[in-house]
Amino acid sequence: MLRRIANHLFWAARNLERAEWRARLVNVNYHLLVESPPQNPEPWAPLLAITGEREIFAERYTGADETSVLTFYTFDDENPSSIRSCIHAARENARALRHRISSELWLELNTLYLDSLGWSMATLQSSGMYSFFADLGGRFYRIAGITSDTLTRDPGYDFFMIGKMLERTESVARLLDVKYHFLLPRVEDIGTSVDVLQWAALLRSASALEAYRRSHGNAIEVERVVEMLLIDESFPRSARFSMNRLETSLQRIARSTAANHANAEPRPLASTKLSNMLVSNHAKEVIGSGLHEYLLQIQDECAAIGDALFAEYLRFE
Amino acid sequence: MSEGALQMSRPMPVNPAYRPLPDTYDETFEADLTPRAACEPIAADLLSASPERINELRARADRMFLRMGVTFNVYGDDAGTERIFPFDVVPRVIDALTWRNLEAGLAQRVRALNAFVGDIYGEGKILKDEVVPRDLICGSPQYRRAAIGIKPPGGVFITVAGIDLVRDREGQFKVLEDNARTPSGVSYVLENRLVMTRLMPDLVRKCGVRSVETYPSDLLASLMEIAPEGVTRPTAALLTPGPYNSAFFEHVFLSEQMGIELVEGHDLVCVDHKLFMKTVSGLEQVHVLYRRIDDDFLDPLVFRSDSLLGVAGITDAMRAGTVTVANGIGTGVADDKAVFAYTPDMIRYYLGEEPLLPIVETHLLRDPDVRKRVIRDLDQFVVKPTGASGGYGVLIGPKATYRELAQMRDAIEKDPASFIAQPMVQLSAHPTYVGQGSNISLVPRHVDLRPFVLLGSKARVLPGGLTRVALREGSMIVNSSQGGGSKDTWVVDD
Repeated sequence: MLRRIANHLFWAARNLERAEWRARLVNVNYHLLVESPPQNPEPWAPLLAITGEREIFAERYTGADETSVLTFYTFDDENPSSIRSCIHAARENARALRHRISSELWLELNTLYLDSLGWSMATLQSSGMYSFFADLGGRFYRIAGITSDTLTRDPGYDFFMIGKMLERTESVARLLDVKYHFLLPRVEDIGTSVDVLQWAALLRSASALEAYRRSHGNAIEVERVVEMLLIDESFPRSARFSMNRLETSLQRIARSTAANHANAEPRPLASTKLSNMLVSNHAKEVIGSGLHEYLLQIQDECAAIGDALFAEYLRFE
Repeated sequence: MSEGALQMSRPMPVNPAYRPLPDTYDETFEADLTPRAACEPIAADLLSASPERINELRARADRMFLRMGVTFNVYGDDAGTERIFPFDVVPRVIDALTWRNLEAGLAQRVRALNAFVGDIYGEGKILKDEVVPRDLICGSPQYRRAAIGIKPPGGVFITVAGIDLVRDREGQFKVLEDNARTPSGVSYVLENRLVMTRLMPDLVRKCGVRSVETYPSDLLASLMEIAPEGVTRPTAALLTPGPYNSAFFEHVFLSEQMGIELVEGHDLVCVDHKLFMKTVSGLEQVHVLYRRIDDDFLDPLVFRSDSLLGVAGITDAMRAGTVTVANGIGTGVADDKAVFAYTPDMIRYYLGEEPLLPIVETHLLRDPDVRKRVIRDLDQFVVKPTGASGGYGVLIGPKATYRELAQMRDAIEKDPASFIAQPMVQLSAHPTYVGQGSNISLVPRHVDLRPFVLLGSKARVLPGGLTRVALREGSMIVNSSQGGGSKDTWVVDD
């Protein structure tokens, strides 16, 4: 498997995962604001913090009003992380991968890209925010389904999964970090209905609300939310689950490449540190000793895994 | 079949508004407007269809091409823009007998061109025997000194050739030019067919259209046949300049169909006179490289040192015999537009056979007498620069302005060896749908044909080839970069 191709697979997955998170975040935030009209003059500001884009947003927009933020996240071509930019980037990756991905996957992604070229505030409004994002979410799931059902399980698939899981881990850590930051300090809100709504929205952003209620019932408690999103082994969007999945792929790649280097020493996996972190901590301890620091560490470790992967397998110049 | 039954089976001639061009061979209709025998099913169906049906077929075809990503990139304005190659839903039909003759002529031609390349970079017999003038070769912009002494397995230099054919007033196919470097367009042939079989499966079946599906496996077989000797399981790869090349789609398509890696220059490295690709598990040796970049970009150590598209040291590896590069270096001498004039002689010289396919008469302007005559009657000739391809820099005498003619006269006088002149061939025409929506009409448009020939341990000719159609009224320039479109080409059974 060519290094360049492995790069494209890794980034195609990251870009798609990023686009999907963006779509979910924007959608959930939009509906949250509809249900609980904000007192905050800039109700969209927290979302910009979650995605770490306050600065680049401020460079080109005067205020975080709804139209600006929706534009910025959905189809602003100058925002490299807008949903359309991510789809475009993933499609460019896929273009270089045409000879190894299924034609079904290419068709789905290319059609999504072609459709995204027509997006504007008018399309968002005419289809209705709900249908627009519901449809979009469905298309990401379709892409995930096609990927899972048509990609050959070779190292290429593993690079794809690593990209996806790395992005997912980072996204969930960032989501929790900022929400936690924004939600908890307001002492007067704790336990109020706004608070519950906010936490429910957070869970919904990670498609976790239903799973949470099934496991933990109706009451939303911070500790259990943290548990669910970071440490739960069975929930497919938790950091731990994502890392387990990532590790499986990393091990397979290490094995298949080691076969070509009979003498090479087995090296520790780049993900070991983060995996251990997630296994050995309980939500209570994590919160007790500083959730923010813990989440920052997760993000740093994700970056370290990306760097190690690049050095070992992806650098080709 | 009785005379009467034959009459009965002949459908009404088409769309009554269709008027063949005067003084032009019509691919589909006889002079009396009855369809040629092989074209009857088309005439009864597509050519008599309602505008609604044609519009629907076109819309479906466009959607399929766009969704499949069958696009080409246009250079110049808005570089990197993807467009779909305009496609006409009326196929071009070639009857079995005509095709058998073409096929034999094409195989013969490519065998001779290949022998010529081997000779030029080897012993140079044809030059010693003065069949082809030596200075013409050494002065050719396509001559590559670096190719001297490289001996590919089986003596195959031209693995893939595209031969551009036109049909004159009498319907005789003639060679207009050869493409012996990195001819493109074959993916359109395959994708056009895919779309047509989805759009009109019954018609395809009824006509008994010969399949083009085996092209990728034939290409792979040809590449494997020229792998370095002694390699039991050769690894092949396709070298592309990358996503912004106009033919990138085709590179993707072919590598996909052949199941070989699609590589860019920076995926490759030469170590110890061997070629490798950089994989996640280290270096993997490549034995056959089907390259789709020009000589000039292939090896920065030998050709353009600023090229990032190729791989340093590959010429050396070729010479060491560890890798076969297809097509070989310097095969452009065989498709040089001036050398073209000598191709019938080459066939006689190397094969001892008479050429089965005539060429369009070609005048070399370096000969003072010829030059004088051509310059005098410049408005009756087509003048082509010998070093360019893709229809760039071509002067069509009968359509040129006074100013263009004057400029060309100057250019020829300044550098006569860089131009050739050919008589204006009245290209054959084919019924084609033009216009949109309710303004759609069936009109004759000029077409050419680019068949593809593969050379490995034997010659393999793809049935049909790419039919290009000049969509502008009166235009004879079929290049996609200049407003041309394409049609599916059907070689039909008897």
